[in-house]
Amino acid sequence: MAEAIKSAPPQVHRRSFGDLLTRDLRALPIVIGLVALWVFFATQSDVFLTARNLSNLLVQSTVVGIMALGIMFVLLVKEIDLSIAAINGVTSVLMAKLIVEAGLSPWFAVPIAILLGALIGSLSARWVTFVGVPSFVVTLGLGLALNGLQLILLPATARYSLNGTGLEKIALINIGGIWSWVVLAIGILSFAGLVFSEAASRNKAGLETPMMRAVVLPIAAATLFGVIVVSILSAHKGIPLIVLIFGILLGLGGYILKQTQFGLYLYAVGNNDEAARRAGVKVHRIKMAAFAIAGGVAALAGVIAASRTLGVGVFSGGGVGGGTLLLESIAAAVIGGVSLFGGRGSIHAALLGALVIGTVSNGLNLMGVENEIRLIVTGLLLVLAVSIDKLIEKATGQQSF
Amino acid sequence: MTDMSAGRERHVHTSGTVPLISMRNIHKKFGSLHALKGASIDVHAGEVVALVGDNGAGKSTMVKVMAGVHMATSGDYEFEGKPVKITSPTDANELGIQTVYQDLALCSNLDAVQNLFLGRELTGSSFFGRRIQRAECEVRAREVLQRMRLGNLSLTRPVGAMSGGQRQNIAIARSILWTPKVVILDEPTAALSHSAAEQVGNLIRTLADQGLGIVVVSHDIHNFVVNATDRIEVMRLGANAASFRTGDVTGEQVVNAMVGGNEGVNLAG
Ligand SMILES: Nc1ncnc2c1ncn2[C@@H]1O[C@H](COP(=O)(O)OP(=O)(O)OP(=O)(O)O)[C@@H](O)[C@H]1O
Ligand SMILES: [Mg+2]
Repeated sequence: MAEAIKSAPPQVHRRSFGDLLTRDLRALPIVIGLVALWVFFATQSDVFLTARNLSNLLVQSTVVGIMALGIMFVLLVKEIDLSIAAINGVTSVLMAKLIVEAGLSPWFAVPIAILLGALIGSLSARWVTFVGVPSFVVTLGLGLALNGLQLILLPATARYSLNGTGLEKIALINIGGIWSWVVLAIGILSFAGLVFSEAASRNKAGLETPMMRAVVLPIAAATLFGVIVVSILSAHKGIPLIVLIFGILLGLGGYILKQTQFGLYLYAVGNNDEAARRAGVKVHRIKMAAFAIAGGVAALAGVIAASRTLGVGVFSGGGVGGGTLLLESIAAAVIGGVSLFGGRGSIHAALLGALVIGTVSNGLNLMGVENEIRLIVTGLLLVLAVSIDKLIEKATGQQSF
Repeated sequence: MTDMSAGRERHVHTSGTVPLISMRNIHKKFGSLHALKGASIDVHAGEVVALVGDNGAGKSTMVKVMAGVHMATSGDYEFEGKPVKITSPTDANELGIQTVYQDLALCSNLDAVQNLFLGRELTGSSFFGRRIQRAECEVRAREVLQRMRLGNLSLTRPVGAMSGGQRQNIAIARSILWTPKVVILDEPTAALSHSAAEQVGNLIRTLADQGLGIVVVSHDIHNFVVNATDRIEVMRLGANAASFRTGDVTGEQVVNAMVGGNEGVNLAG
């Protein structure tokens, strides 16, 4: 018996390529796809790779990217929110009304819009968890109702102009020169601080830490990535404020998902809510927080969209039914690797997915291709991205998590 | 198999010691259905008790009463010699009674450490959003797994990528993470291959060696029960039908007692 249960020496887990592909390198296919798109468009248009165009591409991708980042939280807990575009629209119209008609400062109107978005999200979550209606139905209905409300809130001209209210500045501010590098340095230092504190606590606990893989590589990669992005942006006008906002949200979101208890619970609830419940996780509350985050973030995206278009109207929030804004936001998250079946996806999904969609739109536009084609290509890419994922799963025999 | 039975002889309890759990004359009614009719069981430190019986005999109901999932309609429940009133699973956990349910309740997208600590993570201050203290969790997880002689189990692979036996082991590890006195397992080997079941048997033995009382509900009489346990309580129609020391009986005799045949008459033959 002693022989049978003698504990084997801790195995050194040599990880196969399949292992890596289904875990650490899950983003690899999508990154390769993105680079392929860039190479293609660079050969089709001389303008594509200019600093000016790449800057624009990033700016054009932020609204969808931020929306995707928000909906990701809901997708992780195996729910869906089809009202995010409507929340985006109705809260931005309400904000505009408060600014234009009530003379409220944007400093108050913007937080009101975001809180309202979060409140709407948490109300649909309550409906889903307590009444037991699927989130698909609740948020579909809610989205339509909010579309109606948005139309009611609009004046007879069907549009509020926000020009000169101060709100338009959000989309106009660029952080240029030395400051763009200061911003980057702060970002890298925060990231490095996290990585180091983790390595330090592992050392303290007597666990071995692979210095190269766990500390040096991530920081080097983040620095390289940051320097490239900031160089390109600086060559044009600097870091657009809305890109910085997106960047901060990505950092914050990544921290929440990877490091915090709440983040872990999102994954647990999405995978096996019964197990989470039995382990003492307050599943209702986790779901409510996820919907609230998606709603609040959608409202913030609405503010940014309003600032970029200098106003709000029927078109805000993608128009009635959410239009392409809703579909592209969900598609971006899914292209980036977030599962519609819960419990799977990392924060970079929002960035990568939005960049893919933004690249297709920007590149085809430069080539002078019609909008119709853009929709077809985006749709096919969505199916392709998920198919590649499935094929990797089949080829490696491992489910990706 | 032979090495498991070799270890057994040392563990048969001496009837003088106070049992960890002593349940006497337990009745449980679900409306008009009388699921338990005066069933009794003792669990001593360091022994593995098998609870066997036909479908509907009341085994699961009995362990659910033990674990605080159900409350007995009547009967006595003593823990370490003192009468206790257990009204919820939390009460049972606080006394040191942990249960591993058949469906294991693991999250397949999380790794072993995350599953072991789910709901009870060691975290930093709420100012930093309750950052999980992964290193501390990992150290504790390693300790527990080593104690269970599972030191070579990967801590960072999602458990969904592990075998059924490994998952079963993680579920058991989770139950002993907070050093309980009694662990209840409902059908731990139902979905396992013969060799994986054997490993679970070894694991249970390791835990009993460390002084835990183990209760196992199982239908796998011929392989698992007669080889990996110390004592067998047979239930029939909500009451005790027979009680054996594992070394004294064959699988056929146990099955006979389960179905209500006369003892000694070998129906299987
Ligand atoms: N929650 C419940 N409500 C009503 N009746 C129940 C409940 N739980 C169990 N019973 C009944 O109690 C009786 C004993 O069931 P129990 O689940 O304890 O049997 P078991 O010995 O575990 O059987 P099996 O081997 O099939 O798991 C059965 O007749 C069952 O239908
Ligand atoms: Mg049962």
